Amino acid sequence: MIDCPNGEVRDLLPDYLHDRLDSSARISVERHLAECAACRDELALLRDLRGTLQRTPHIDVASVAAAIPAYQPPVRKSWANGWRAAAAIAAIAIGGTSIALMGRAGKPTQVAQGPIATPAAPAPDVGVRGTAAAAPHTVTEPVTQPAPMVARAEPSVKPAPAPRGEELAIAGGTIADLSDGELSDLIGDLDSLDAVPSTDVESAESLLTGRHRGRHE
Amino acid sequence: MTDVALPTDERTDLDLISRWKAGEQRAATLLVERHASAVARFVASVGGRDDVEEVVQDTFVRAFASIDGFRGESSLRTWLFTIARRLVLDRRRATRRRREQVEVHESDAATEYDSLDGVVADETQRRLQSALKKLSPTQREVFVLRVSEGMSYAEIADTVGTTEGAARVHYHNAMRTIKELLDD
Repeated sequence: MIDCPNGEVRDLLPDYLHDRLDSSARISVERHLAECAACRDELALLRDLRGTLQRTPHIDVASVAAAIPAYQPPVRKSWANGWRAAAAIAAIAIGGTSIALMGRAGKPTQVAQGPIATPAAPAPDVGVRGTAAAAPHTVTEPVTQPAPMVARAEPSVKPAPAPRGEELAIAGGTIADLSDGELSDLIGDLDSLDAVPSTDVESAESLLTGRHRGRHE
Repeated sequence: MTDVALPTDERTDLDLISRWKAGEQRAATLLVERHASAVARFVASVGGRDDVEEVVQDTFVRAFASIDGFRGESSLRTWLFTIARRLVLDRRRATRRRREQVEVHESDAATEYDSLDGVVADETQRRLQSALKKLSPTQREVFVLRVSEGMSYAEIADTVGTTEGAARVHYHNAMRTIKELLDD
């Protein structure tokens, strides 16, 4: 089978076959076909091929249509929903961070204060900001604050075990140095603390030590 | 694209889609009636003949499920062919995996096309079908869409995921191959 050198017309033959040409293009193709046997042969071949390809397998239209569900409009995300979601995420993030910080604050904290120690004395393990600077000059006995002072950060957290009296150095003394009355006052102060968490170490220290500093001064 | 510029068929398709979205289920049936045969022909030509109805049904279900994604930039039929083609390719890949065969390259994939077996009417038909089966998958897809469905190269490019120029080349290569095979 010979190919016509007029590629432009050959390119249009399938469109001519399907009657998809505008009138001017159709007339142009028909004029060419009248003169070109190769294009007439090609058009005849295309017609046969279309017939072969268009043998349609049987399709049960009713069953295909029955499988199509009713239309479901897309769910549109409103601005309000978006803001609600953002607020929820922010609340979770802030809450999580707060709990993490409070959890850290709830750990027993060693606070060292007291008279200048000997240079050979090891620095206590200071876990609270603001007290580290005092380390080189601190006592050899680190002070662990009573649990209720720091447990304010997480009311649901069990208070840490109370330190032994001899380990509690407050303004240079220990609990053992306190009189019964002072000890009673201290316990009363501790009991009167509210449950709101506070990570303000300075205020906690002053509460504990203010009275006793005065005693040592 | 405005309504005025759309051919009547496409306006009708869009109208039926609107009616279906408005709750008229009968409109979906009309759309299936308008396009099911063409989709079935295409599937049978490029895929397996055994599961044509299943692929056609999947095509329509998927199309209607994502009808809001149809922007009317191409005709509904072109869009349906695109979905059908994807389903055929997915099935072909699944079958290939099941058989644990090595990947078949396009050039040796002609043996996959046995979809026209059993419909041989006469010697001419048999020879034409034999020639069509020798085409590469892409050549065959393009040729079927061009000759059987009368699609433009732009529509074919949309359906097959290629360029108009490549579609034109595939068509002419397919035509040359068929002529050579028929001349033998």
